[in-house]
Amino acid sequence: MALINKVEPRQSNRWRRIRGRSAQGNKWTVYLFLAPAAVYLVLFQGVPLAQELYLSFTRTSLLNPTRHTWVGLENYSEIFSDPEFFHTLTTTLVYVVVCVLGAVGGGLGVALLLNSKFRGRGIARALMTVPWAAPGVAVALIATWMLNAQYGIVNRVLSEVGLGAPDGQILTSTAFALPAILITTLWQLFPFPAIVLLAALQAVPKELTEAAAVDGASRWWTFRAATWPIIRPTVAVLALLMAIWSIRRFELIWLMTRGGPDGSTRTIVIDLYAKAFDARDLGMAAAIGVVGVIISLLLVTANLILTRRAEKEDAR
Amino acid sequence: MKTGTIGNTARILGVLIVLGIAVFPLYWMLTTALTSQENLFGDSLQFLPDFSQLSVFGEALSRGNVLQWLLNSFLISAGTTAVSIVLAVPLAYALSRFSFHGKVLVGLGLLLTQMLPEALLVVPLFSIFQDFGLLNSLTGLVLANSAFVMPICALILKGAIDGIPRELEEAARIDGCGPLTILTRINLPLIMPSLSAAAVIAFFHAWNEYVFAVTFIFDLEKRPGSVGLAGFIGELGTPLPTVMAVAFMFTLPAVAFYLFAQRYVVSGLTAGAVKG
Repeated sequence: MALINKVEPRQSNRWRRIRGRSAQGNKWTVYLFLAPAAVYLVLFQGVPLAQELYLSFTRTSLLNPTRHTWVGLENYSEIFSDPEFFHTLTTTLVYVVVCVLGAVGGGLGVALLLNSKFRGRGIARALMTVPWAAPGVAVALIATWMLNAQYGIVNRVLSEVGLGAPDGQILTSTAFALPAILITTLWQLFPFPAIVLLAALQAVPKELTEAAAVDGASRWWTFRAATWPIIRPTVAVLALLMAIWSIRRFELIWLMTRGGPDGSTRTIVIDLYAKAFDARDLGMAAAIGVVGVIISLLLVTANLILTRRAEKEDAR
Repeated sequence: MKTGTIGNTARILGVLIVLGIAVFPLYWMLTTALTSQENLFGDSLQFLPDFSQLSVFGEALSRGNVLQWLLNSFLISAGTTAVSIVLAVPLAYALSRFSFHGKVLVGLGLLLTQMLPEALLVVPLFSIFQDFGLLNSLTGLVLANSAFVMPICALILKGAIDGIPRELEEAARIDGCGPLTILTRINLPLIMPSLSAAAVIAFFHAWNEYVFAVTFIFDLEKRPGSVGLAGFIGELGTPLPTVMAVAFMFTLPAVAFYLFAQRYVVSGLTAGAVKG
């Protein structure tokens, strides 16, 4: 201990001297490293975002995208007085909440399942990434086929056991389309939280859970007391990521139902794309998109605040 | 840990069920491709692939523009990987090793890029690309895709560089190396696993991308695989086994590379996304 105390300051002094020298000589070096990526992101994300914001205050048609008529808040007042848009908001909310709870909860379950040594665990972990890697378009294609009213495997198997949907309609039924899309989305989402949580579980000290087991604690109690506090920050980040990813998700819904039937699967992203490229109303589409980004921002802020508060409570 | 035999059996059963769920749709894609048209629409399900139908893959490849689509996907993905990595490496290095004004701002900016839906920026990018003649071109897709996946690559690489002891750089600096030499000669060779993980992510982000491709590309022969494949949905002219064969060939590279790289991808993403 004494030795370390003696050595450490000297090392860090030397480090500071060297860094200081290089920092003086190359004050701008860091900005040279930053510049390419920063310029790129400003050009391809910042500028379009600003233009989107501007478009949301205009009436602009896809057929003549360079001609804008300034209309102030008209687009916003129009979408917020439209009951259809509230339907879209509710659908988005349901979609996001189910995705977050399902993917993180399911992922945690799978992670706990895989969190013990058994033969073939590496292979199991690798195979689990399949849904995550599969291209969305291919997933939409196979899901559409599996859910086909007459010949799809889902309906065939369900009607074997007497549970088939009426007329076999799934993706064309207002009752079953959203659940079907949600299940497909969850299938694609769950591997990521599962694998990240499996990694996080490695940080839980084995002695702790073993001691609890020896003391006769129930599994649930062991989980609450020993495991949960350690993986909670990871769960928080994953919940945020899943929320953002599910708000962004486009091709699965677009290709499976186009937001239909009767708007029962229309999320914000679907709504804005349809407004822009089917209704050719870029101004309205932009306004819907801006509302979507604001919702995402609120989610991120809420997540950060809740995480901070939890950390503070832990520190107490 | 000591667990009872019953507990263990239940666990293995659980793992098998989860794996079955994870892999089944892909298996069903293959089985559908390897089922004759009559059997697909017959009275009973055919649960096993019929390998006498293997010629369907050859048919799929020779059909229309399928080969061209896959080639386009490859070109777009390779381009996106190159642009993303070249931009992400210096960004990651700056974020990991320097303290500078506006660092928090850069971090927030990267987070913001993760929140923007592609479908949102597709409208303004459409008009920007129109002005610069980037519509209906693979280059345009490379540029658009890179903007979305480069921040993820940067976060992965930052996590990796964070893990390299500074003493190594110190030694190189004493020997008179500049920052760029330190980055390319000292850091990059040490983060090869994370670098390849970032490359895999960038490549298959572009490979899987659909919104930009379907909006920005008009010519049939310039389509990437994702758009070509999506065109089969609801279209009746192409036999279903052929469609599924195309889908399978389009899916397989993505799945295979993730199987191979998932260890690095996950550790990279965990380091980047969860810790930072």
